[in-house]
Amino acid sequence: MEMLSEVIAIFNRWNKKLLRQPILIFFNLIQPLVWFLLFTQAFSAIGNIPTFQLLTGTSSYITFFTAAVIIQTIASSALNAGIGLVNDFDSGFMDKMRVAPINKSSILFGRLFSNALTTVIQVAIILVIGLALGVNIASGIIGVLIIFLLAALFGIAWSGISLFVALNTKNAETTLSVGLLTTFPLLFLSASVMPIGLLPSWVQQVAQVNPFTYIAEAFQSLIINGFVWQKIEYALIAILIVGVLSLGTSILLFRRKIS
Amino acid sequence: MDDIVVVENLHKTYGKDIIAVDGISFTVKKGEIFGFLGPNGAGKSTTIKILTTLLEKSSGKATIDGLDIDADQEKVRRIIGYSSQEVGVDDDLTARENLMLQCSFHHIPKEKAKAKVNELLQTVRLAEAADRRLKTFSGGMRKRLDLASSLVSDPKILFLDEPTTGLDPQSRQDVWEYIGKLNRQGMTIFLTTQYMEEADRLSNRLCIVDQGKIVAEGTPAELKARVGADKITLRFKPDDLAGCEKAKEILSKLPGMEAVGQCGDSSVSVNGLEIMTKNGSALVTQVVRALDGANVDVEQLNLSVPTLDEVFLKLTGKTLNVVERKEAVGIRGRRRRRD
Repeated sequence: MEMLSEVIAIFNRWNKKLLRQPILIFFNLIQPLVWFLLFTQAFSAIGNIPTFQLLTGTSSYITFFTAAVIIQTIASSALNAGIGLVNDFDSGFMDKMRVAPINKSSILFGRLFSNALTTVIQVAIILVIGLALGVNIASGIIGVLIIFLLAALFGIAWSGISLFVALNTKNAETTLSVGLLTTFPLLFLSASVMPIGLLPSWVQQVAQVNPFTYIAEAFQSLIINGFVWQKIEYALIAILIVGVLSLGTSILLFRRKIS
Repeated sequence: MDDIVVVENLHKTYGKDIIAVDGISFTVKKGEIFGFLGPNGAGKSTTIKILTTLLEKSSGKATIDGLDIDADQEKVRRIIGYSSQEVGVDDDLTARENLMLQCSFHHIPKEKAKAKVNELLQTVRLAEAADRRLKTFSGGMRKRLDLASSLVSDPKILFLDEPTTGLDPQSRQDVWEYIGKLNRQGMTIFLTTQYMEEADRLSNRLCIVDQGKIVAEGTPAELKARVGADKITLRFKPDDLAGCEKAKEILSKLPGMEAVGQCGDSSVSVNGLEIMTKNGSALVTQVVRALDGANVDVEQLNLSVPTLDEVFLKLTGKTLNVVERKEAVGIRGRRRRRD
């Protein structure tokens, strides 16, 4: 019970901080918007490829690409988790929390849950924009809720990587660059931007072990086809593996560094 | 008095060869202000971070209120307050929100926390600014809030790491006053500082540290007594050599004088006289009376007492800060004309 109240207190702290910097929320949304509007215009012809239609079940590239925008948003939002932590180390606030009789993991979980909430809100905004641009979500309201759930869980799992870098370097710039450098290649080396069957064979091989592929395929199936439970299962397994590795190492590192 | 902090042979080494704390031992008594005075890099912050469980020691033993800082880490955290050099407050939150957050870290029930926060805001004179975000706060206000936030749990001992570094003189006075007040209410305080004036003014007892070692320990008066006596300096009119000689003769016979110098060798004047004594402030009146009675015309009289800076210089061969010998009493232009 004590831990729950600690997590809630830290969760609320981060929510307040974010609400007081509306400019930050705005900028976090700029990039996905640019992607949505420019990328899908430039590549709309991909939808005309017969194999694309066969593999994906849609002729609208923007419908297919919505999953990529969501994943990119989750990943860039996850970056902030580590940066927030670095700021706390720099300001001395981290020491204030560490001398308090609280569970160390509460510090991390409060941050992760607040981040997950932000991510879900951003994903909701993206879906609204998608609807406005003519994207149809085949799985309806329930599907949207599953998208939110997967986004929150994947956001938490992926934040672990940012936390890990932040705890090791205690440097905001490094945390940011490592995050950006991992997000973009992983996005393009997955089934997010192009169905896996249209990728060159070496990229296909990378995509098979890239968690982004499984998350993307789950989103794509919910948006294009409806409920394909196997895809959702695979996504959950991918999230679980990433989460256990990234959060497990971060928590161990955090506990050891400070006790 | 009981010891609340007992430190035995504490070591902290970073990597292989950087020794931050090199075998220090000391005790802090319940209810006192205990100072740790030393220059940057002396190991002050490292020591305070080890005692507040923020940093792991390399070897040695330390207990706080009988609790081992390693084995009973959780319990130690419940009885200490800590205010770091960096001022650990959240700038995006208001003063009240910062304190409420600290209360939740200490699991204080909401209603009790609200009352406690109001009380603390009053004490540190931030009640009016309570609902403003810290972005608009001055350095002094932020420090006062930080102090308040380390007190939400009514700790048994408060650790202050360089509480006034970077503050303007007025804020420094405020913080000193507040620390004194807390101590009078019974709070034990352990503070580190690089300002001798701060250590001198606040601490009941102090350690002088340098390069990870304690070089001296005692009350400020004891430490200052080590570098010697108070000094009374007299200045006469440049041409009044006879007056100086007469003063020298009179004062040599006065009881309590340790050494009366030679005329002309004063540091303040070409025609001056220096007298060393154990208790300068008590003797000043006698000196003035004796000279007045003998019709000696004194142009200026200064009393200076040794500073901790001189103690530090004597013990380490280095200066702590560049601070002039403190002028405790300066009587200027005290000329007496006889009819």
